[in-house]
Amino acid sequence: MTECHGLAGLVPTAVQTTGRVVEHEPMARDTMRLRIECPEIARQILPGQFFMVRDPRVTDPMLGRPFALLDTYDGPTGEPIGVEFGYIVVGKMTELMTTWRVGDECEIWGPLGNGFPVPKDFENLALVAGGIGQTPFLAVAKEALGHRSYGDPLRQLSNFPQSVSLSYGARSAEYLAGLNLFEIDGLDLEISTDDGSAGHRGFVTELLAARIAGESPPDAIYCCGPEPMMAAVARLAQEAGISCWLSLETPMACGFGICFSCVTRVRLDDGSWDYRRTCVEGPVFPAETLVL
Amino acid sequence: MANLNVTLNRLSLQNPILVASGTFGYARETAAFIDFSKLGGIIPKTVTPQPRAGNPPPRTIETSCGMLNSIGLDNDGIDYFIEKHLDYLLSLDCPIIANVAGHNAEEFKQLAEKLNAFPQLAAVELNISCPNVSGGVDFATNPELTQQVVSTFRNACDLPVIAKLTPNVTNVVEIAQAAADAGADAVTLINTLLGMAIDWKKRKPILGNVVGGLSGPAIKPVALRIVWQVASTVDIPVIGVGGIQSLDDVLEFLVAGASAVQIGTASFYNPGLAARLADELSTVLDEQNCESVSDIVGTLVLPEK
Repeated sequence: MTECHGLAGLVPTAVQTTGRVVEHEPMARDTMRLRIECPEIARQILPGQFFMVRDPRVTDPMLGRPFALLDTYDGPTGEPIGVEFGYIVVGKMTELMTTWRVGDECEIWGPLGNGFPVPKDFENLALVAGGIGQTPFLAVAKEALGHRSYGDPLRQLSNFPQSVSLSYGARSAEYLAGLNLFEIDGLDLEISTDDGSAGHRGFVTELLAARIAGESPPDAIYCCGPEPMMAAVARLAQEAGISCWLSLETPMACGFGICFSCVTRVRLDDGSWDYRRTCVEGPVFPAETLVL
Repeated sequence: MANLNVTLNRLSLQNPILVASGTFGYARETAAFIDFSKLGGIIPKTVTPQPRAGNPPPRTIETSCGMLNSIGLDNDGIDYFIEKHLDYLLSLDCPIIANVAGHNAEEFKQLAEKLNAFPQLAAVELNISCPNVSGGVDFATNPELTQQVVSTFRNACDLPVIAKLTPNVTNVVEIAQAAADAGADAVTLINTLLGMAIDWKKRKPILGNVVGGLSGPAIKPVALRIVWQVASTVDIPVIGVGGIQSLDDVLEFLVAGASAVQIGTASFYNPGLAARLADELSTVLDEQNCESVSDIVGTLVLPEK
């Protein structure tokens, strides 16, 4: 990633464009997967980056909403021509989005944000996801396992982790989204649900704790989910001395650094903290730099 | 082709489409999305004498056809601005209008003296109307304070001065008159309308700062009314801002009496909009047989009584 004025998530090649809905399918209860044709974004986007999406036909809702890259998909020539993302229906914008049909146009701008670190320096990479926070990890896992490359020019990893695991927690089985997508060669997938309707009964952090106590503990953790869950993951990582990165899901108005809405408290060298914009300094932060 | 140049007393701009303070960052954030050379001017985020952390999140919440914000003038202070942002801003092929706020006349004087060293700036806009900070920043609710701050700034700085005023008063006209009397080159109308959002189930305000400023298409009728009131009664150029998101919106403000306009909240959801509007404006003026922007400014025809 080219750093720009110390803002790791400012993307000088981002574009604003009109995308076209190509697929729109349910992933789980209240959860949909959208595939949008937008070659200029698909060509360059990296795992852990995001884009903003809105409906240009209306001003209520008016602002775009941020969505993490689930994966890119290729056109007939084998080049990426669009992006996929998952969303959970929670409010006015996502309710409107459920009415989008194949062929509809939407406004989309990106890629935005810094993305996860290039997974080339780790032996055992643990991905930890809560709720809809699992969506960034499909592309991360595919890249880390050598199944797909991203970016322009295509990012080629000099080294791959020996193991990649995904610990994915949801409220209940019906909310587990896109499990079929995560059936990837080499991905060690573990599930937890709060009510025990699938996988481990309990929190996803318990799966991570067991993994840390196991025979080949992770030496890197990437995490995305609700903040209390990410704070718990950060504590586990810190206690075990494991490098950990968190991808924040802070609400945003613009997504590219001009509104100063999406601030989070970041530790400074002198021990104090300052508000920093999640969109242009993140959304992925080393866990120890955040005041959670 | 219609001539898009506009002159607001000492301030001349290549076209009347500016981007508003607080909705364009420090410009480098938007570089990917917009051709700066097409804009009439860029007004970066408000700078204060000292760094300010800003208000706790949530800082914004969308409302019907608009949004509330309570950012709280989050900025790194004037010295950091001059050191880290100003070179970049002044390197852009577009007039730069700095925007500043202080707690009192003395702070405005400090800001004026520091910015006076940069004659490359096109002008300075005084944010005397931010609803999100306490401690006397809302000067523009009081004509005497407005006059005092504007004249203090003018006396300490040779750059053209614009006063950005608040709609949260009974009569903006007397505040605008005070700014004019104090020698402001123009007034910007309007800053945000003070508002509130509530999560009734939690019995809590949604914004971290409890209240915030309403912006976006929802406030356009209020902005138009105030622009019209001031432009038709006070002898000072008006820069209109509030909910503009289309060329029709721009023309409504011009007809109401604005000599120029600012694109604000719309840049959040349409980052390339301002440049596109600047491109399209000359076509419409040609269709209206206007040779220059001034031919359409203030052309509102009122019903006969």
